[in-house]
Amino acid sequence: MMHLIVRRLLQLPMVLLCVVVVTFTLVWLIPGNPMQNEGRQPPPEVAEAMDRQYSLDSPVAFLGGYLAHISGVGWVLGWNETPFDFGPSMRHPDWTVNEIIRAGFPVSATIGLGAIAIALVIGTVAGLVGGLRPGSWWDGATQSVALVGISLPSFVTGSFLIVLFAAKLRIFPIGGWGSPSQAILPMVTLSLPFAAYIARLLRFGLIEQMHTDHLRTARAKGLSRSQAAWRHALKNAFLPVLSFLGPATAAAMTGSFVVEKVFAVPGLGRHFVEAVLAKDITLVMGVVLVYAALLVVFNLVVDVLYVWIDPRIELAGAQAR
Amino acid sequence: MRWVCCVLLLLVTGVAILTSEESRSRAAITLSSADVFTMDPQRMSYMQDLRVARALFEGLCARDNTMGVATPGVALSWELSADGKTWTFHLRPDARWTNGDRVTSGDFRSAWRRLLLPDTAADYTELLFSIRGAREFFAWRSQALAAYVAGAVHDDAAAQALWAKTLEKFDELVAIRAPDDQTLIVELDNPLPYWLDLCAFPTLAPIHERSLAKWTRLNPTTGMVQSDAGWTKPGVLVTNGPMKLVEWRYKRGMRLEPNELYVGANAPLASSVEVVPIEDANTAVLAYESGSIDWISDLTAEYRADLAEASHRWRASHQTEFDFRIAAGATVDEALAALPAPDASRGERRDVHVVSAFGTDFWSFNCRPLLSSGRVNPFADARVRRAFAQAVDKRALTSSVTRLNEPVATTLVPAGSIAGYTSPSGLSFDVVRAREEMASAGWIDRTGDGIVENAAGEPFPPVDMLYMTGNPRVKNIANALAAMWRDALGVQCELRGKDGKFAKEDLRRGNFMVARGGWYGDYADPTTFLDLSRTGNGNNDRAFSSAPFDALLESAQRELDPQKRLAILSEAERVLVEEEMPILPLCQYVTLYMYDPAKVRGITRHPRLDQHLSQIRRVHDAPVSAMP
Repeated sequence: MMHLIVRRLLQLPMVLLCVVVVTFTLVWLIPGNPMQNEGRQPPPEVAEAMDRQYSLDSPVAFLGGYLAHISGVGWVLGWNETPFDFGPSMRHPDWTVNEIIRAGFPVSATIGLGAIAIALVIGTVAGLVGGLRPGSWWDGATQSVALVGISLPSFVTGSFLIVLFAAKLRIFPIGGWGSPSQAILPMVTLSLPFAAYIARLLRFGLIEQMHTDHLRTARAKGLSRSQAAWRHALKNAFLPVLSFLGPATAAAMTGSFVVEKVFAVPGLGRHFVEAVLAKDITLVMGVVLVYAALLVVFNLVVDVLYVWIDPRIELAGAQAR
Repeated sequence: MRWVCCVLLLLVTGVAILTSEESRSRAAITLSSADVFTMDPQRMSYMQDLRVARALFEGLCARDNTMGVATPGVALSWELSADGKTWTFHLRPDARWTNGDRVTSGDFRSAWRRLLLPDTAADYTELLFSIRGAREFFAWRSQALAAYVAGAVHDDAAAQALWAKTLEKFDELVAIRAPDDQTLIVELDNPLPYWLDLCAFPTLAPIHERSLAKWTRLNPTTGMVQSDAGWTKPGVLVTNGPMKLVEWRYKRGMRLEPNELYVGANAPLASSVEVVPIEDANTAVLAYESGSIDWISDLTAEYRADLAEASHRWRASHQTEFDFRIAAGATVDEALAALPAPDASRGERRDVHVVSAFGTDFWSFNCRPLLSSGRVNPFADARVRRAFAQAVDKRALTSSVTRLNEPVATTLVPAGSIAGYTSPSGLSFDVVRAREEMASAGWIDRTGDGIVENAAGEPFPPVDMLYMTGNPRVKNIANALAAMWRDALGVQCELRGKDGKFAKEDLRRGNFMVARGGWYGDYADPTTFLDLSRTGNGNNDRAFSSAPFDALLESAQRELDPQKRLAILSEAERVLVEEEMPILPLCQYVTLYMYDPAKVRGITRHPRLDQHLSQIRRVHDAPVSAMP
C-alpha cells in the first residue's frame, strides 16, 4: 500500500508537467493578445514592449520561464521570492495567480465539499430506496427525480432555488459570499447532478448484488432483505459510487462556472472560464494545475479506499511488491 | 457503514470551518458594478475602474457633477499664457496623501512620466502626447528598450544605466516642470481647449512615488520598469482622493471609506461605499429587490426594457406634477422622489432610469480594398457604404429591436454633448437614395432575382457581418440590419458571432465586411470620437484613410480660435458621416441605472456619467412637501 502511495505521489510532478505542456499549447493557440483590452487599444509600441516583458513573443521562452517559476527552480536560483510562483495574472495586473487561487479555491472547495456531502446523503437514500425495491412506485419516483437532476442544467435549478428560497421566501440571501447561509443554495444546486449519479450507480449496484450467491446464502440463513442488504450488499454496491466520487470531488471542489455566476460566488470556476475567454495564460494554467493535482490526489484516495473496503482488490502498485 | 459516517462527518466539518467567516456590517451605499480590473491610475481604462479611481484619487482638476465642467481639484487655480500653450497650476498647500505626506507638483510629474513610459502599458498614453516633447520621449524610450533587448548586455547595471538615461531624457525633452512643490508648469504643442478636462481624467491622477518605489523594480532582461502586483492593495495603496480603499478582495468587491485627511470640494457624504461585482444580471436585480444593494450601475437583464417601460409609465401618469417640480428648480431625482409612490400591483416602478451616455453605438465598414481572403471588398467604395447607411431605419431599431428608444444617431459625436459644437446632419433613412447609390456603384438587379449584380453579372457577395457574442442586444440588431439590407438593397447577409478575443482578432486582421463597434468619449472634445478615423490610429479597425479628413484634423490642431477650431472639426465630421461613411452610427448609448431616488441621491445624469462615489448618499426619511 505504501508503495502505491509513494509511487503515485512521485508520478504527480510528471503528470503535472504533461498537463502544463498540453494546456500551454492549447491556450497559446487562442487568438489575440492577453495584454490587450477589448475596447481602447494602446499604441503599438506599448503592445510590443509588453510582449517582450511577459515573453509573449516567444512561446519557448515563456514556457521555460514559467516552468522555472512554478517548479521552484526559479526560487532556488533567486529569480523570484516565492518557491511556487504562478506569476501575475495577465488580465488583472493587480493580482498574482497565487493570490487569486488562494482567494478562490477555499470558496470553490467549500461549495464542492458541501455539495458532495449533500449529494452523498440524497444519492444514498434515493439509491437504497430504489435498489431494495426495484420496479416499485418508490423506485420509479426516485429514479425520475434522479433523471431530472442529471438533465436539468445548473442555471435552471440555481435560478429556481434563488427565486423560491431567496427572493420569495427570503430564507437565504440572494448571493455573495461570507456567511454560511450564503453557501447553502449554491451547495444544493451543485449537489443535485452528483446526487442523481450516485442514486443511479448505487441502485444498479444494489440490484446486482442482491442477485449474487453470497446474498442468497445470507437470505437463506434467515436475514431479512434489508438486513442482508445493509450488512453484505451495500459495501460492494458502493464501489462504483466510490470510483465516481474521486473525480467528482475534484471537479466539484475546483468550482462550477454556472453555479458561481448565478450566485455571485467568487470561486475558482468563474475565474477559470473568464481567464480562458480573456486568454489569461498564467491564470488558466494555474487553475488547471490545481485541478490536475486534486484529480491525482483524489483518485489515489479512492484507490486506497477500494483496497480497504474490498481486500480482494489488488492494485497495480500493490502487486508490484 | 462506519466509514461512510466518518467521511460525511469530515466533509461537514470542512464545510463548517471554511464558511465560518465573520459577518461584516453593511455599507451605507452598496452598488453593483462590473468587476474592477486595476487600481493603478495610469493603467486603467475601464469605466468601472475609473469610477472608483475618481473617489480614491484627485487630479489637478475635478469635474463638476451637474455641469460637467472642470473645477479646481488639487490645483486651486491656474493661468494660461497668451499663446494658449502654457498652463501654470498652483497646487493647494493643504492637499495630503492618506499617509499624511503633502501632495506636491513632483507627484504629478512622476505620475505623468509613468503614463508616458511604454513600460507601464497604459491604454491612455496618448492623452499626454499634446505636451511638448512627450511624443518624442515615448518614441525614444520605445526605441531604447528595443535596442536594449537586441544588445548583448542584460544585467542590473545595464538596466540601471538605461533608467538613469531615461530620467535625463525626460527632463530634457518633456515640457512638464515643477519649479517648486506647489507649482506645475505644462507646455503644450498646440492650444488645447479641453486640457483642463483632461486634467480631471483619473489616468492623469498623481501617484505617491515613495510607496510605489517599494513595489517597482528594473527587469534586467528587458530593461523595463515593472510594478509588481500588490502595490494597489488596501493598506499599501496611498491615495489623495476623498475616499480611501479599506478592503479589496478579488471578485468579491471593494469597500471605500472617507479619507479624513482630504480637503477639497468632494468631501464624502456617505460613511462607506461598497462596490460588489455581480455578473449575473438576474441575480443583480434580485439582490436589488431584496435590499442588499442600493444601485445597479449597469442594468443588463434581458427584461430591462420592460422594467424601463414600467418606470416610464409611472412617470408619465404624473407628468404634470413632475414638470412643475422641475420648473421649480428640483433635480430629476428630487422630483421623482416627491411624486406619489408607484403602485406595485399595477406594475409601476420608479427605480429604473434610462440615461444617455457619452457614447455612440455603430457598425464599422471594412474600408480595405481587399478582404482578408484576398477577394475584392465592395465596401471599399464609399457609395456602397452610403447606400448601406441610408437603408437602415434606426428609429425602428431603437423602438422595436432594442426597445429602449435610444436617441437615434446620424453622427459619431453625440449631438448636443459638446458646448459650442454644431453637429453635421449626416445621412437619414432613405431607401430610394440608398438604391440610387448602389446603382451608381454598379450594383443593379440585372436578372430580376432580387439580388444585385455588377456589370460582369456577379452577384453582390454575401455580407459578412461580424459581432461579439454574449450580448443579445447586439445579435438582435445584427439580425434586424441584415433584414433591412436584404429588403432595401437586395443583398444577402451572413451573421458571424464570435467571442471577444476572437472577434477582436478578426477586426485587427480586417476579416469582416461590416462589424459591430461602439465608442465612449473620454474628454469634452469632438476629437475624442473623430480620432478613431484618423489614418493609422490604433483603434481604426476599419483601416479607413482619407487625406482630406486627416488634413482637416491637422488644421484644427493648429487653429488658435476655439470657435473656428470647432467649425473645422464639424466639417471633418461632415466628411465622415455624409461622404465617406466608414462608420455607420446607429444610436447614442444609454445606460440603465436601477436605484430608488427616494432612498439614494447624488447619482448624476450628465451624459458623461462621471459618477462621484463620494457624492452619493442615502436619503433619510424626510417628509415630502405636497404640491401646492
